[in-house]
Amino acid sequence: MTSTIQVPTSARGAESPRAGGGPVQRRSPITRLRPWLLLAPALAVLAVLLLWPLVRVFLFSLQDYGLREIVSGEPNWIGIDNYLEVFTDPTLWTVVLPNTVGFAVLAVAGTVALGTAVAVLMASLGPFWRTIVGSAIMIAWAMPAVTGTYVWVWIFDADRGIFNETLQALGLQDEPVNWFTNRYTFYAIVLLNVVHHGFPFVAITILAGLLGVPKEMLEAAEMDGAGPWRRFWRIIVPNLKQVFAVVIILSTIWDFKVFAQVYLMPGGSGSNREALNLGVWSYVESFGQNRYGFGSAIAVLLTLVLLAITVVYVRTMLKEEEL
Amino acid sequence: MSTVTPATDVAPAASAVVDGPADETRRIARSRRSARKTRAAALKAVLVVLLLAFTLFPAFWMLSSAFDAKAGTGGQTLLPREFTFDNFAYVLTEGGFDVFLRNSAIVALVTVLASALLALLASVAVARFRFRSRTAILLMILIVQMVPLEALVIPLFVQVRDLGLLNTLLGLMVVYVALSLPFGIWMLRGFVAAVPVELEEAAYIDGASWGRMFRSVLLPLVMPGLVATSVFSFITAWNEFIFAMTLLGGASENYTVAIGLKQFFGEHTNEWGYIMAASTIITIPVMIFFVIVQRRLSAGLVAGAVKG
Repeated sequence: MTSTIQVPTSARGAESPRAGGGPVQRRSPITRLRPWLLLAPALAVLAVLLLWPLVRVFLFSLQDYGLREIVSGEPNWIGIDNYLEVFTDPTLWTVVLPNTVGFAVLAVAGTVALGTAVAVLMASLGPFWRTIVGSAIMIAWAMPAVTGTYVWVWIFDADRGIFNETLQALGLQDEPVNWFTNRYTFYAIVLLNVVHHGFPFVAITILAGLLGVPKEMLEAAEMDGAGPWRRFWRIIVPNLKQVFAVVIILSTIWDFKVFAQVYLMPGGSGSNREALNLGVWSYVESFGQNRYGFGSAIAVLLTLVLLAITVVYVRTMLKEEEL
Repeated sequence: MSTVTPATDVAPAASAVVDGPADETRRIARSRRSARKTRAAALKAVLVVLLLAFTLFPAFWMLSSAFDAKAGTGGQTLLPREFTFDNFAYVLTEGGFDVFLRNSAIVALVTVLASALLALLASVAVARFRFRSRTAILLMILIVQMVPLEALVIPLFVQVRDLGLLNTLLGLMVVYVALSLPFGIWMLRGFVAAVPVELEEAAYIDGASWGRMFRSVLLPLVMPGLVATSVFSFITAWNEFIFAMTLLGGASENYTVAIGLKQFFGEHTNEWGYIMAASTIITIPVMIFFVIVQRRLSAGLVAGAVKG
């Protein structure tokens, strides 16, 4: 499990698909149609279940879409009123955006910093300990979001959680504190949960990159008197720029749309308005208040934010290889 | 952490003192270096211990509580005070997890089979053929993976409702196939591209048709990739929460494991022993499969972006 990422077996070496693919000389219509025949089932599923819904969520966002409209199927256009309402709602500016963006920034910074540190540590270990550490972080990675969140909730449980009991036993607090009611401690727990679950991917990916940095380069730098700190910033970081870019962007995309980790916490499913983020707000307005149109408008905004990040991601990838 | 080159020795034990009658200055230099090495090794050992503690604590705590007869009564210790399997027994019988496990297994199995087939066909198309709008399709597949589920859940809820599939496992399976498809195509594409074109050509020279070549050459060679992709769709279907909660809302007999946990949360008290036992049951299959695909998974996520 020392995880040499099998450098995308893919693409590089064998990426020279012959035009047409099939037997060389015969270019019958069937050969030309073959890729489309192969693609058709998958494209049909994607179109019906991913693309059409995306169009639809946008259409919903332009309507006053509630239970009545769901049942009757009649459209009820109201233009951009939902968006106006979202943007004039103080909840967006004081609660939801700070919770979403602020959290994403902290979570990405935490995940990438911890992941990088662990990768550097793992690179300096011998095979035995590297396997041990690799297996341990694999366990953190594999823990499903749902069960992982419940475990953190249990650890920080107000009445009987081990965190409160330990603090009390140490005499640091007199009576149990409910960490879930305060917005900042609430998100601190979400942060712990998300970083714990997210750093293994970063560590494994960066470790693979680290092991690929030429040793001669590092030795030469050491000869020249560069300390470990300097070697890291001057040699490793520039060498792994691409890896860091991908890891940061992917983490950003994931951390912007944390849902279960917030929703499953006490008060996270809408009863504590202070804890809403974009995704949860959209869901709670839709399925809690039956305001599907308003919820859709929020969802569209979230999608646009993610799309913008994705465009950056795709451009980063395109620099690296031909698709 | 002072060296980046793999040090073979990380045992916290102090390294052996240098022996032999050596030149005085060399001896001092060497002992200084060995002292520095010892300190680095000690620091590394501390870091490894801290890291292991942080990484493993939640999983450990889950197990410990699951086996503790008195979990949730307060004053819990690190190891169960009264070791028991009762929590598991309760969860699997009265807790209804026997049914939830079966539901999840059915959903996951169908999702895996359907999405593996569709993804394989599509990935051959994008990896082996050059055709117009190929790049556009690849971009779409890449971008569609980033769409937040919260945006899809509203229209898909309406769609599934219109089809009369709310509260059924079928509705859920259809959605999961779609969710796991883009990543499946993306990942399998790499495996297909890695099969040397020469092998295909050899098959054609031997007189094989395209179909025969696909069956006898391509399919066996991409099998490992197919397994990895399937495990990934399994994990997606097994863990998924928001769609299960929305589409199965009323029908608790059709719950999957991810939402089955909710019922142990009471109005005032939570049955933490049961919750942790059930969480353990949910987590174990995922961990097993995860270990199997770990390498492929990270490779697939950053496909093409990691320089070797």
